[in-house]
Amino acid sequence: MKVKTPALILIFILLVRWIPVASAQGGSIAVVVNPQNSLSTIQMAELRRVLVGEKRYWTGGATVKLFTRKAGTPEHNAMLKVMGMSEAEYKQYWTSRIYQGEAQTEPVALPSNGMQREALTAYPGAIALIDSADVKPGMKVLKLDGKLPGEDGYPLQ
Amino acid sequence: MSYAYRIGVAFLLLTLPVLAQTAQPDDQETIRTLVQQVKELQQKVAALEGKQDPTTTSTSPAKQELAPQQEKQSDTSAQESLFQEIHEVRGIQWRGFGEMNYKVLNQRQPELGSFGFVPGSAGNFYTGDFDLFLTSKITDKASMLAEVVIGEGDAQSFDVDLERVLFRYDYNEHFRLSMGRYHTGVGYYNATFHSGKWLQTTADRPLIMEFANDGGLLPTQAVGVSVTGTIPSGVLGLNYTAEYGSSDTIRPNLDGVGDFTDENNGNHINVGLFARPTIVPGLQVGGSVYHDRISNFELGPSVRLGQTIVNAHVVYNGHGVEWLNEGFLLRNAYEEGGPVYNMPAFYSQFSKRFGKTRPFFRYQYVNTNANSIYHDDVLLRHGPSFGARYDFTDAVAFKTQLDHTIRKGKPDLNGLQMQVAFAF
Repeated sequence: MKVKTPALILIFILLVRWIPVASAQGGSIAVVVNPQNSLSTIQMAELRRVLVGEKRYWTGGATVKLFTRKAGTPEHNAMLKVMGMSEAEYKQYWTSRIYQGEAQTEPVALPSNGMQREALTAYPGAIALIDSADVKPGMKVLKLDGKLPGEDGYPLQ
Repeated sequence: MSYAYRIGVAFLLLTLPVLAQTAQPDDQETIRTLVQQVKELQQKVAALEGKQDPTTTSTSPAKQELAPQQEKQSDTSAQESLFQEIHEVRGIQWRGFGEMNYKVLNQRQPELGSFGFVPGSAGNFYTGDFDLFLTSKITDKASMLAEVVIGEGDAQSFDVDLERVLFRYDYNEHFRLSMGRYHTGVGYYNATFHSGKWLQTTADRPLIMEFANDGGLLPTQAVGVSVTGTIPSGVLGLNYTAEYGSSDTIRPNLDGVGDFTDENNGNHINVGLFARPTIVPGLQVGGSVYHDRISNFELGPSVRLGQTIVNAHVVYNGHGVEWLNEGFLLRNAYEEGGPVYNMPAFYSQFSKRFGKTRPFFRYQYVNTNANSIYHDDVLLRHGPSFGARYDFTDAVAFKTQLDHTIRKGKPDLNGLQMQVAFAF
């Protein structure tokens, strides 16, 4: 019994540390836009064009405003996965885009989902990736390749 | 004994904090005074607020209902302005690129621009290009950018060059207009990497894409108008480039000996088309055709040549892989009849990122005609370069590169370059 108690404590600590990570990794990442955006579905190839800054205007003329979360968050990692880049390549890519005159600045990395929600409300052309558990009123969730977050075959699980 | 001792210790531990927290009469008096002062201050603050904004002190029920709405509206506009402040870049934004190099050759003569080499010395340090880049957003659709490069010449002389200055207007995705001095779209490399060495994987540009003022062969800069945009084409992802302007290619000989060669260009037109197919992210396939009229003042002021440069490229950039392939055909033809010089060139560069290290390999080939007065110092040159780039941080990289160049009529050239390139 004496031998088992420290082991149980260790297992408990590990579980406590592991549970939030597992829940963060387990959720789908939703593609959200401003509710005024007429778009309701987006293809993965089109999403990539948005994330790499090649698509600059929505149908209707609103300027695409991409908001990201800070490096290391599940949303940011999902974005890198779609772009096929590492964090260093991402930074170099945007420096290069600015240098080519193709962008004014790299996408703003916001520190919280709350700020991301406010940004989505403030800009008609805003788009962001967000953990589906954090989707709130004021965000319009787009279907990605015809599927909503949580559905089988959703690409950003 | 032990039991009594434990009870004693427990009693002390329980009572000591209580004793310590018991306020003395003096302390109680102090607390009363402080509370009174806080109340007075609160009253003064309320009176001041009332003077500043009478609506907040109004007792009218209608106004009391309006107040939260006004507060909410004020909050929303504050949030919008906050995000505009965060996201919209206002004013002039400065960025920069710098480099520090050491280059040693197996000959005591410079090669590919002087870069601080002094004849008689095989190896030298040099700073290369110090690049200041500024952008400014004028409106949502209009912006400007400028690139000023302080380049190092022979014997640590420095010159300032306005590499680019552009007014840009983005009407929509299909029509983006630029006016000013630009890097021509004569090749993928020239339109992508510009002057900042930090952006490049290798320590130097391929010879065919070297800037003309460093000994390069092609018109890399021009003043005029450039239009770019996408063409609705579904999965093909077609883009176009059209440029019309004046270039003025003045290049030194590769060995730094002799006069500069001035092509006295006319107005050029350059049309390019490339595809970025959405089914293969990172792939770009395309080409361009450049045409200009250049002059040969050695033969007479009216002797003109048609200069045509055809480019084709296949580039892949994704998942840590960079694979650049470009082929060129430079054609100079006298307008009044006479010889036609067709001069081919290509380079292929492959690199793969492993963590912070990116080893690379490049093979390049240039073959100019000995009778072409503009490029008679180049002739046949080909050979491999290999090395590695190591990124210390997101903004500082160290590169080392070995070059072996086979030259027609001259001994093979071997070189070692080491470079620290940074962005700031």
